[in-house]
Amino acid sequence: MMQHDAMTFRNVSAGYKQRKVLNNVSFTVKEGEFVSLIGPNGCGKSTLLKTAAALLKPLSGKVELFGQDVQHIKPALRASLLGVVPQKIESPMAFTVDQIVMNGRISSMGRWGTPSSVDHDLVERSMIYTDVLDLRERFFTELSGGEQQRVALAMVLAQDPKIIMLDESISHLDINHRQEVLQILMNLNREKQMTILLVSHDLTLSAGISDRFLLMEAGTLVKAGTPVEVLEPEVLSRVYNCDLHVQQDPYTGYLQVTGAIDSLRHRQKLNKSVHVIAGGGSGIELYRRLLIEGYEVTTGVLNRLDSDAEAARALNIPAVLEQPFSPVGSEVIAQALKMVGDADAVILSQVPFGSGNLVNLTLAEAALNSGKPVFLADGIATRDYTEGKAALAFIARLMQSGAKVWHSMSELMTHLQLYQNR
Amino acid sequence: MDMKRLKRSVVCADNSFTTQSHSRAALRMLLFFAALMVLLALSMLLGPSGIGIPDLESPSGSAILSLRFSRLLMGMMTGAALSASGVVFQALLRNPLAEPYVLGVSGGAGLGATLTILAGTGVVASFSLPVVAFFSAVVTLMVVYGIASQGSTGQPSVYSLILSGVIVSSICSSIIMFLVSTASVEGMHNVIWWMLGSLQPVSAGQQLLSAALLFGALAGIWLLSPRLNALALGREMAHYQGLHADLVIVIGLLFATLLAAIAVSLSGMIGFVGLIVPHVMRAIFGPDHRKLVPLAALGGGVFLVVCDAVARTLLAPVEIPVGVVTALAGGPFFLIILQRRMKQAWIA
Repeated sequence: MMQHDAMTFRNVSAGYKQRKVLNNVSFTVKEGEFVSLIGPNGCGKSTLLKTAAALLKPLSGKVELFGQDVQHIKPALRASLLGVVPQKIESPMAFTVDQIVMNGRISSMGRWGTPSSVDHDLVERSMIYTDVLDLRERFFTELSGGEQQRVALAMVLAQDPKIIMLDESISHLDINHRQEVLQILMNLNREKQMTILLVSHDLTLSAGISDRFLLMEAGTLVKAGTPVEVLEPEVLSRVYNCDLHVQQDPYTGYLQVTGAIDSLRHRQKLNKSVHVIAGGGSGIELYRRLLIEGYEVTTGVLNRLDSDAEAARALNIPAVLEQPFSPVGSEVIAQALKMVGDADAVILSQVPFGSGNLVNLTLAEAALNSGKPVFLADGIATRDYTEGKAALAFIARLMQSGAKVWHSMSELMTHLQLYQNR
Repeated sequence: MDMKRLKRSVVCADNSFTTQSHSRAALRMLLFFAALMVLLALSMLLGPSGIGIPDLESPSGSAILSLRFSRLLMGMMTGAALSASGVVFQALLRNPLAEPYVLGVSGGAGLGATLTILAGTGVVASFSLPVVAFFSAVVTLMVVYGIASQGSTGQPSVYSLILSGVIVSSICSSIIMFLVSTASVEGMHNVIWWMLGSLQPVSAGQQLLSAALLFGALAGIWLLSPRLNALALGREMAHYQGLHADLVIVIGLLFATLLAAIAVSLSGMIGFVGLIVPHVMRAIFGPDHRKLVPLAALGGGVFLVVCDAVARTLLAPVEIPVGVVTALAGGPFFLIILQRRMKQAWIA
């Protein structure tokens, strides 16, 4: 039997008045597929779900459910095609569980809102499926988060939809009920050909159950394909901006995605010090990452009141400071040189250079001269505001003397680790 | 197949699933209706002329009884309108504080009514009062909605709605104050009496018009009530479940506004009923709007009737404004009920 297209995004851009969240997203989910939608926080997964359910109108492009433009489907029909389990549902009033689940039938009930025996059957069946029958007379609000989630799923199942989208709905569940809910979803998927779109943060879990992955980053669809195709350590590490490993479970053959927590624990015991040359807010993310990785961090020369100086103070990082809006003087440079002398490496952030802070580059030079590794952020040409492009020339000289260029935070961390292991 | 049907009829015969809670709910309903009847009868026996049935043989006696009856009708209509309006506002805005006053709707209706009272006299005024009150209330609601929508993406949040409602409401009452302070002595007297809130019967024509509008609005809301249940889980969830969520919200707001305008044009500014009666009804009968809407309307009506009977009897021949009684007598009573059954009333 040929599989129909259950859901199709055609060049969809969507978002809010001020902020475009989805950018030209195209993909197709076939009927009966189990698809996991993954990506870091804020990459647009929830917006994608809202657009798919016609809660948001696309700014351009088109979303189709079973070949029909979702914007033109009648709401009641749409509810019979597509159900959404949100991250959390909140009932301000004291509805009982069975009243809540009955809401799933709202668009199929008659004008008077009286449930038919079909409605009752569907409600009961979905409550049995999700193991909430015992809770039916309890107040929804009194239930635990996991129980509420199962009730929400029961409510959406009562809609009897052909597609179910779950927005991180299972992350609140305890392990027992998470397995159970996943089992329910898989049964619905296998037996009733129900199409499942699961927003997930548990990549390993999703790898075991999904036919396909959709990987999003900053509003675009980066990759779509089978778990093996999408779960590549390089791609994931870049998208999630951290070190991720993918290996195959020797028994099940499923892919497992793991972060480098173990090695992180090792790094906590580091006794290495790094000096950061920053300014204008370019150092904040560096400080944060270096501290998390377990390095001792020093920084300077910064101007007082600079946002990096404020950050250093807040993070308790030793810093050499110059008066606000003043060029860096020789006295403070001497202090900073001493700091560089104590450091094991020097990192140059994406700080713009002008005549005032150009002298900071001599710190990097000093480090190189004493045989310490120096890492320079790329793209200096666009940040050089000195006369005659003096910084650019200086940087070129540093690179000849052995300084390395870094492009991304994870790359920089790898560089540092290599040096440290040496 | 038969087994399945049997099982269903045992487990799932109705929305309230066990026979015990079913019969208890029925008993509660029975007691409630009995209490309503008793209270209504009692309010017919109370009045400034004394307690008991007046002498029906004498013309003054039958006049007194018919006056009491028309005040009963006024109270039923006003109380039902206020209470049902509160139910709808609380459901649509998912906020326990929502009621016509908070959203500025009553204030807008009051402003319109004040203008009508000061401008016109006689039959025209009494007919146009509910109409003008309704339109000024709708305009106020639109202004409130417009202010609240500023800067948001389409749908205003509940908090901005309530905030702008409170602001617009206080602007309206300031304008009313201004109008009153610059009015003639007679106009001032009329408006202030009306603002204090009183169930003095209005003209028969206005009563008929108000009754027709009231039944229309109540029927409309009752038709919406299953959808109000779904909207309690929020606009998004209602949308996912296949409702025209925005349409339901707009229609519901219009009906609730109409109800508030009816109440204001009939009896002036009577607070408290629209806020508290829905909560008490929810505490006793649960939040299912299919039951809640008619019950709250009945409960609100009878509550106001009883308060009015007390108001006209307690310090006879002086009549206490009924709004004073609703707050002073009703407040503690409701607090006790809410204390004991808060769990069912509203869990925030």
